[in-house]
Amino acid sequence: MRLHCLLHTPVALEVALPLEGFTVLLGRSGAGKTCLLKAIAGLLPARTEPWNGWPPQRRPVGYLPQGYGLFPHLRAWQNVAFALNGARAERRRRAAALLERVGLREFAERYPRELSGGQQQRVALARALAHEPELLLLDEPTSAQDVVTRDALLAELVDLVRAAGVPALAATHDFHVAALADRLAVLVDGRIVQQGSPGAVFARPADRMAARLVGVSNVYRGRVVETDATRSLVEIAALRLAAESCAGIAPGAEVDVAIRAEAVTLCTDGKGWPARVAAVRAEGLQHRVVLDSAGLRVEALLAASLGAPRLGAVLRFDVAPGHVHLMPARPES
Amino acid sequence: MNSQRTLAFAGGLVTVALALPFAGLLWSTPWTRLKYAQGDIAALCVSVGYTLIALLIVMVLGTPLAWWLARHRFRGKWLVDALVLLPLLTPPLAMGLLLAISFGPYGWAGQPLQTLGLMLTNTPAAFVLAQVYAAAPYYIVSARAAFENVPRELEQIGLSLGRTPWQVFWRVTVPLSALGLAAGVALAWVRALGEFGVVLIIAYFPQGIPVKLWVNLQDLGLDAVYPLLWTFFVVALPLPLMLGLASRRQPVY
Repeated sequence: MRLHCLLHTPVALEVALPLEGFTVLLGRSGAGKTCLLKAIAGLLPARTEPWNGWPPQRRPVGYLPQGYGLFPHLRAWQNVAFALNGARAERRRRAAALLERVGLREFAERYPRELSGGQQQRVALARALAHEPELLLLDEPTSAQDVVTRDALLAELVDLVRAAGVPALAATHDFHVAALADRLAVLVDGRIVQQGSPGAVFARPADRMAARLVGVSNVYRGRVVETDATRSLVEIAALRLAAESCAGIAPGAEVDVAIRAEAVTLCTDGKGWPARVAAVRAEGLQHRVVLDSAGLRVEALLAASLGAPRLGAVLRFDVAPGHVHLMPARPES
Repeated sequence: MNSQRTLAFAGGLVTVALALPFAGLLWSTPWTRLKYAQGDIAALCVSVGYTLIALLIVMVLGTPLAWWLARHRFRGKWLVDALVLLPLLTPPLAMGLLLAISFGPYGWAGQPLQTLGLMLTNTPAAFVLAQVYAAAPYYIVSARAAFENVPRELEQIGLSLGRTPWQVFWRVTVPLSALGLAAGVALAWVRALGEFGVVLIIAYFPQGIPVKLWVNLQDLGLDAVYPLLWTFFVVALPLPLMLGLASRRQPVY
């Protein structure tokens, strides 16, 4: 399915996307992602392809809003049966079957307030599937969950969506969601600046905004010092880092440079660049270390097995050329 | 702690003061000599029957307006708001006079309506008209607030699940605003049933309970009002009390 959507108010937005499997639209909060999903569902005036001009009740979409939007006065099965027609017993039977599909058969009689966030989300999914949609729209699928259960619930949700065999478009600012996508599109300033597989986008974000969205901690403005067919040398403040060459980069050109915190390595052989440890924070089995290299702030994610660096210690670090990603310079908005 | 005690004492005093007239009624009612005056039963039937009709009209006309006000923004909305509140803010007697000016036998609307056979002075229709004007603003204001409390998003989801706006209204909006709507109905019921000022001017006949109470007081004295007064309470209060209790039991969504 190919989707096209043109929206003027409340935000100006133009999006054209092929939708396949689980597609994630990654954008900042307030970038208009919710408006886009509502426009596709026919709930905001916009040009959309397919279904242009159709009223919302005729569009074959299943819309899961942020917070899931279950009807509080209806039990789980009644929520699911909302879209079903037919005799009460028949609707009940089909609702039970749908709840079974999302693993909630025994919760059919509960009211939404008696369900956890993850359970509510799955009821909302079952309800959307009851409408037999051709496209699922998920708004911030992780927003109402705590961090502890988020990843497991998310993986489960994505599996359910894939099993349903309906293409899905999830809008989020959370790159953890983006990492699970079959296809990823990055929304910046009302248009798609990049799309592709999550691996490709995460490794090579198109510009500094995209880099921030996919979770790159270190984004700098730099200048290309020299370049040949394979290598470029880029200068960032007092640092000089080697990067893989890419098209359209000439010596003297300003570039934006993206370096993932995971790609920063410590050197024990005296090579690399000196830096002082400014802050250390535990992050699961890793340490997020903030380095100060002559005024330049560099974040590094180091395995905890290396031991936590001492605050104020002077270390040497480096980044492999393959991980120094050059992008066209773009003003920070 | 001390100021809390003072506050509690003052609050208790006000509550007692508010309850005093009702205690007085209990105390003063000549329980052994209660007897309906002539026409009291007829007044009861007039009040209950026509109030139910007025209530129906208020709900049928007021609900769409309340929904429209709750769900739409448009230029000049403040004017519509003001117009809805106007009958509520107008003293009842003045409202009655306004209705007489317009719908009376020589009024600009009354005269043509009379040639069409609809007489709006001292007729059942006039009685209902007066009650509708007295009660409608209360219902509209409550219903509007009730509709505004229903998350718009839930209605939108109802639509995106393939239901028509009409189905969504009945299956989502009404159940979720039921308490507020019920409060509006209860308020409108009490206002319409108890309306005296407006009714007195344009529908002295047929006599409902309020006007009949006044007539009994004038013609027969205070003793003649007790039976009808008690009847009035017994008829007027169950509906609002029931709805009030229901709202206390209702789970908060």
